[in-house]
Amino acid sequence: MKTRHIEKVTQPGTPHFVGDGFRVHNFIPGTSTMQRMDPFIMLDYNSKYNFPATDQPKGVGVHPHRGFETVTLAYKGRVEHNDSSGGGGVIDEGDVQWMTAASGVLHKEFHETEWSKKGGEFQMVQLWINLPAKDKMSPPKYQAISNTQITKVALPDNAGELEVIAGAYNGHKGAASTFSPIEMYNLRLKKGAKTQFTFPENYTTALVMVEGDAKVNGDTEAPQDHFVMFSNDGDTFTVEALTDTVILVLSGEPIKEPIAAHGPFVMNTQEELIEAFQDFNTGKFGYLED
Amino acid sequence: MGLANFKKHLIEKGGLSEDEFARIEPFIQIRKVSKNDYLLQQGDICSHSFFVEEGVLRLYDLSEDGKENILQFATEKWIVTDRGSVYFQQPSTYYIDAIEDTVVVMLDDAFVNEVVKVNIGFRKQNEILLQNHIRHLYKRISLLLGASARVRYLEFVNMYPDIMLRVPQWMIASYLGITPESLSRVRKALAEENFKS
Repeated sequence: MKTRHIEKVTQPGTPHFVGDGFRVHNFIPGTSTMQRMDPFIMLDYNSKYNFPATDQPKGVGVHPHRGFETVTLAYKGRVEHNDSSGGGGVIDEGDVQWMTAASGVLHKEFHETEWSKKGGEFQMVQLWINLPAKDKMSPPKYQAISNTQITKVALPDNAGELEVIAGAYNGHKGAASTFSPIEMYNLRLKKGAKTQFTFPENYTTALVMVEGDAKVNGDTEAPQDHFVMFSNDGDTFTVEALTDTVILVLSGEPIKEPIAAHGPFVMNTQEELIEAFQDFNTGKFGYLED
Repeated sequence: MGLANFKKHLIEKGGLSEDEFARIEPFIQIRKVSKNDYLLQQGDICSHSFFVEEGVLRLYDLSEDGKENILQFATEKWIVTDRGSVYFQQPSTYYIDAIEDTVVVMLDDAFVNEVVKVNIGFRKQNEILLQNHIRHLYKRISLLLGASARVRYLEFVNMYPDIMLRVPQWMIASYLGITPESLSRVRKALAEENFKS
């Protein structure tokens, strides 16, 4: 067991709007690159933000994706989504939606209608996870993982609880199936409690400080809404909660394949990117009314 | 400020070497224009052509009833201007504005002359670009006069592959000379033919 040190702690930068419904800080690629963060290629964090009540739900209109998976974690608020193959649903507080865009979907995401009418605090993470080349053109699918389906593991000494979304923690498996090894947990650690995680040294590993403040590896403070990026110089790190915390823990094996990315398409070559645009323009992603 | 696109343009289309590009680099003028801001407004005399390093511009005029008619979009590596206003030094009847935050390289005769000083062949290359532009305009007129909405759309996305994701649909409809509803119908019909769920 060898300490995995922190590479950097990033404070939330100037937020930007995705559509009119998601006010996000970009952490991946952020100041890094898709290659460095492999297999995580994009992470937008909507820190708590109060949306006023409205009859016109805010969100993002119809747009395509190809070549990767989008994972949406709803911490506060509710999101409704629809796609070109007729699918759709609501991501409620505590739920995770794992969408495999793969060969291509057209979808839209809006604040859920009834939630919009009341408005309120909204907090989400949207993460894009790359797919290995062999799976990029596989059929799209959804894993709608409701909070009740998420494996919950009580931490020793009443330290708190770990929600295992993907991967496995001490033999407790997460509900999400993945195309490459991914560990994804929500750590709910009580004030003063401490825990540690061990992942293979080569895994890209990071934390999103969703709620509260913590100390990492005994010496570095990780305040709320910050992003903690680890080096690959060891396998184990510790987290000590300075307040009650919720922390998104991410660790994934790098896919190590070439990345050709443009907007909502992430492929391996420039030719595949051009094909993605052509397919989108000629209706191969289907049709969805705005 | 990276000028990767402009550099590529001068080397690949203009015939310059890396070394020649380095020599004209000090003469390059850039301008940043925020989304919705203008590079040209009706009544101005247009003094430059605008090479898009990054972003999207559009060239349009207004009908008598105030409707916008889009003549051209310019995404990365495109050049847009009111050539008539520049050449004849007459007030423009057009507008050029930014659809995204955009960075342009400002091109004028003085700059072209500097480039020609380092590479005499550039004048010919520049003329080829002009002739190519004229050929493109002929084709555009033909499509507007004779082609179906579907053919106009397919030609358009072939020329601007990423534009459907960057520009509102009503602007694309304006460029194609069709209604937004007609554009929707074309896209829907293509999806019905090509989408395999």
